[in-house]
Amino acid sequence: MRALGPGSVSSFLKFVLDVAYLALLVGLVGVILLALAALLFSVNPSLLDNVRIEPAGQFPERAPVVIAGLLAAGGYMAGVLVIIGALRRIFVTLTAGDPFRPDNVGRLRLIGLMLAALELGRYVLWAISAWLPWVRDVEPNFSLTAWFSVLVVFVLAEVFREGARLRREAELTI
Amino acid sequence: MPIRIRLDAMLMQRRMSLVELADRTGVSAANLAVLKQGEARALRFSTLSALCRELGCEPGDLLVYEPGPETVIEDDL
Repeated sequence: MRALGPGSVSSFLKFVLDVAYLALLVGLVGVILLALAALLFSVNPSLLDNVRIEPAGQFPERAPVVIAGLLAAGGYMAGVLVIIGALRRIFVTLTAGDPFRPDNVGRLRLIGLMLAALELGRYVLWAISAWLPWVRDVEPNFSLTAWFSVLVVFVLAEVFREGARLRREAELTI
Repeated sequence: MPIRIRLDAMLMQRRMSLVELADRTGVSAANLAVLKQGEARALRFSTLSALCRELGCEPGDLLVYEPGPETVIEDDL
């Protein structure tokens, strides 16, 4: 199987990343628009006179929660977007045949930090939702897999750092 | 780097330019400039062999040891 070029695994992964990036971008714009709409309706509930929402009449009271939920979803999508954006930039260097660049070390560290931030964000959301009386069936669970992924990414970042150093040394071998 | 390549002196003695040496050895002029400026980290036997062949000298005529601090490749991050 080819490592690079058309028909290779990397070209397939690049396609998946591009599709995911675009889908997330569209989703993020949608969530932001929904949050803005919710904000508008909460400020001026009369706009909802002709709109039927179940349970009826509860939207204005719950608007801050809905807006916060939408913003949280937007934040999560933005975090994943940053991760996929960094992966896409790493892939650009890979397809150029030069992945062991110092830039990629920073990108991998950013991915690790974002994964950790997203996981911590999940805990914060659970903690907040536990305070809300109408939110049920929320059970916090500690995901060992998520933290293991963070660890793997940071280890890979160090591998890339050493790779970048070796590449620099090879450049100076005449 | 305490190891220095006496490329300048050897070229001057032979009235040869760096570009001409690059042509004859097949090593790029840019790489020879890196060697000349003492910025190289390592030298391949194949490069040393080509230099000795074209300059008509022994490896010991090209390499000089001058005590000094080792150059360490700094991490960019």
